Amino acid sequence: MTAGQALPARSRLSAKVLFIDPIRMAPSLLLPLAGVLVAGGFSPRSFGFAALGVAGSVVFAVLRWATFTYAVVGDRLELTRALVSRSVRTIPLERIRGVDVSTPALHRLLGLAVLKLDTGAGGDKQEGELNGVTVAEAERLRAVLLARRAAPSEPEPVEAAPVVRERYLIRVPRAWLRYGPLSGAYLLTPFALVAGAIGLLFQWGEEFGLTGRDAWALAEWLWERPQLLAAVLVVLVVLMPLAGGVMYAVFNWNFTLRTRDGYLVAERGLVNRRAVSLERRRIRGYELAESPPERAFGLVRMWAVVTGLGDSQTRGQLLPVAPKAEALKVAAEAVGPFDAPLRPHPPVARRRRLFRAVAPWLAVAAVALVMGWGVLAVVALALAAVGVPLGLDRYRSLGHAYDGARLSVRSGSLRRTQATVERRAVVGWTIRETWFQRRAGVVTVIAGVGAGSGGYSALDVGARQGVEFAAEVTPEWVAPFME
Amino acid sequence: MTLWFLHGMLEFLALAGGMALLSLWIGGWSWVPDWLAARPWLLPLVTTVLVLPTVIAEPLIRFRVHRWELSGDVVYARSGWLSREWVFVPVGRIQTVDKAQGWLERLLRLATVEIRTASYAGSSTIKCLDYRVAAELAEELSRRAQELRDDAT
Repeated sequence: MTAGQALPARSRLSAKVLFIDPIRMAPSLLLPLAGVLVAGGFSPRSFGFAALGVAGSVVFAVLRWATFTYAVVGDRLELTRALVSRSVRTIPLERIRGVDVSTPALHRLLGLAVLKLDTGAGGDKQEGELNGVTVAEAERLRAVLLARRAAPSEPEPVEAAPVVRERYLIRVPRAWLRYGPLSGAYLLTPFALVAGAIGLLFQWGEEFGLTGRDAWALAEWLWERPQLLAAVLVVLVVLMPLAGGVMYAVFNWNFTLRTRDGYLVAERGLVNRRAVSLERRRIRGYELAESPPERAFGLVRMWAVVTGLGDSQTRGQLLPVAPKAEALKVAAEAVGPFDAPLRPHPPVARRRRLFRAVAPWLAVAAVALVMGWGVLAVVALALAAVGVPLGLDRYRSLGHAYDGARLSVRSGSLRRTQATVERRAVVGWTIRETWFQRRAGVVTVIAGVGAGSGGYSALDVGARQGVEFAAEVTPEWVAPFME
Repeated sequence: MTLWFLHGMLEFLALAGGMALLSLWIGGWSWVPDWLAARPWLLPLVTTVLVLPTVIAEPLIRFRVHRWELSGDVVYARSGWLSREWVFVPVGRIQTVDKAQGWLERLLRLATVEIRTASYAGSSTIKCLDYRVAAELAEELSRRAQELRDDAT
C-alpha cells in the first residue's frame, strides 16, 4: 500500500467544529472574563479586554483547527498537530483494536462525531482522538480503519466500498429501560448534582465576594432548622429512583448490538449517541454481574472481557440491564456458548464465608459491650445477624466450571459476578493458600487472564478440587507438577 | 536463606529500636496506664520475646517452602511461609523476564528473577536464587519465550 492511495493526502476535521470549540471553552473563559469586567468596573476599556479575550480564543480555535490534520499513510494513521510545536502521532493500523464513535449533544446538532481509537496502549494520552469529523466521515474512517485491520493482506483498494456484513444480535426493547433504577446505577445522581452545585457555589462564591464565614453562617442557619434539612433529604431520596431511571434511559436509549466484519458494535444513548466497536478476535469472554434486587427480577448486567481494553465495564458493555435468559442468548452468539453447571465448593467454604460475614461484627459487639457502649453493641449485633444470610448466600454463589473451551467462576453476594473466559485466554495460574485456608483444607485458585480485571478467582475450592480444576483446563501445564 | 534471616534481623532491630525509643518518651504521656509508665523497659522486652521466634522461624520455613522448577516449558514457583502460593506460568505466555539484585542480595551474590505476563495473576517472582543460576534461568526463559511466543494475552 502506498501513501495516500485511498484517502486524500491530508484531511482536516470538519470546519463545523469551530462552532463547538468556543462554546466548549466558554465555561473556562467565563470566570476570567467576569473577573476582568468586575475589576475593571465595566468601563469601555475592560469591555475591550474581554472582547480581546473572546476573539483570542476564537482565533486560537481556528488556528488549532487549521493546523491539525490527519491521514492514513500506508498502514499507519498519522495525526499531525503543528500549532506552535509540531507533533506527529503515528498509529499503526494493526494496533487499532477498536473504534469508539460518539456524538455529544452539540456535535449531534451539527452532524459531527468524535472518533476515539483504542490502541490498547493504556492511558488516555496514547490513544488517538479525532474530535469533530462529520458523521459520514466517521463512518467511512471506521470502515477504512477496521477493514484494513481485519484483512491487512488483501490487495483490493479500500475505496471500493468495503462489503459490510452486518447483523443485529439484539435491539433492546424500550420496555427494558424500566429495569434501570433496579440496577442501582445513577441512583446517587441527585446527590451528585447537589454536591456539584455546592462545589460550584464555593468556587464562584469567591468571585462574588462570598467568604467562608457566610457559608458557615448558612450552614448554622440550616442546622437550626432540621425540618428543612430533613425535607431536602427526603426530596433527594424520592428523586433517587426517578433521576436514576431518567439518567439510565438517557445513556442506554435504543441499545443495539450488532456484528460487523469481525467486530462487535454496541450503540447506545439518547443525547450522546455512542458506538463502540470491539474486535471480536480480542474478546476473551464475558462477565455477568447481579445485585440482590436484580436477582429477584432475574436481571443481569453483562460486559465483554477484552484484551487491551481499559475500563472494560463501560466500554465493553454488551447489554444494559437485561433479563438473564436473553443476556445468555446474546452472550452465546456474541462471545460463545457456555452451559456447564457450576460445581459447588466444599462445605468448609460455607463455614468460612459465614465466619467472615459474622465474626467481625461479633468482635465489635463484644468490645462495645465491654466498654459499655450499648448502641454500638446493638448495631453490631444486628449487622452480625444480617451477616448470617449474607454468608450463606455468598457460599451459594461460589462455583466454578469448565466445559472444554471456557471456564467460569462465580462469587459474591451483594454484587454477584460470574466471569466466563476462554481457555486460551488463561496466561497462568496462581494457587493461594493462607494459613487459615490450609487448616480448612481449601485454596483459592486464580486464573490469570490478560484481559478484563487480570485475574479471576475461585474462592475456597477444596485443595484437591482446585488443582484438578486447573489441571482440567490446562492439563499440559499443571499435570506434570501434581504430586 | 541467609538473606531472609538478615532481612528479618534488620526488621527486628528496627522494631526493637523503635520500641526502645518509644519507652524513653512513654513516661511523659498521660494516657499511658501507670503500671506501664513505671516500667518503660517492658515494651522492648515484650516485643523481643514476641518477635524473635518468628524471626528465627520465618527463614527456616521459607527455605523449606520456596521452590521453583522449569520443566516442559512451564515455570512453577512456590513461595510464602504462613500463606503459600503456587504459580504456574507457561513460558509461551511470558512477556518480560527481569533479573534484579538488591544491595543485600549483591552482598550475598544472590538475585531475583521476575516473570511477567499480561496479567498480574500470572506473574511471579523467584527470590534469592544464586546469582549464576538466576542469570541462566533468565537467559533460558527469555530465549524460550522468544521461540514459543504467541500473542501472550
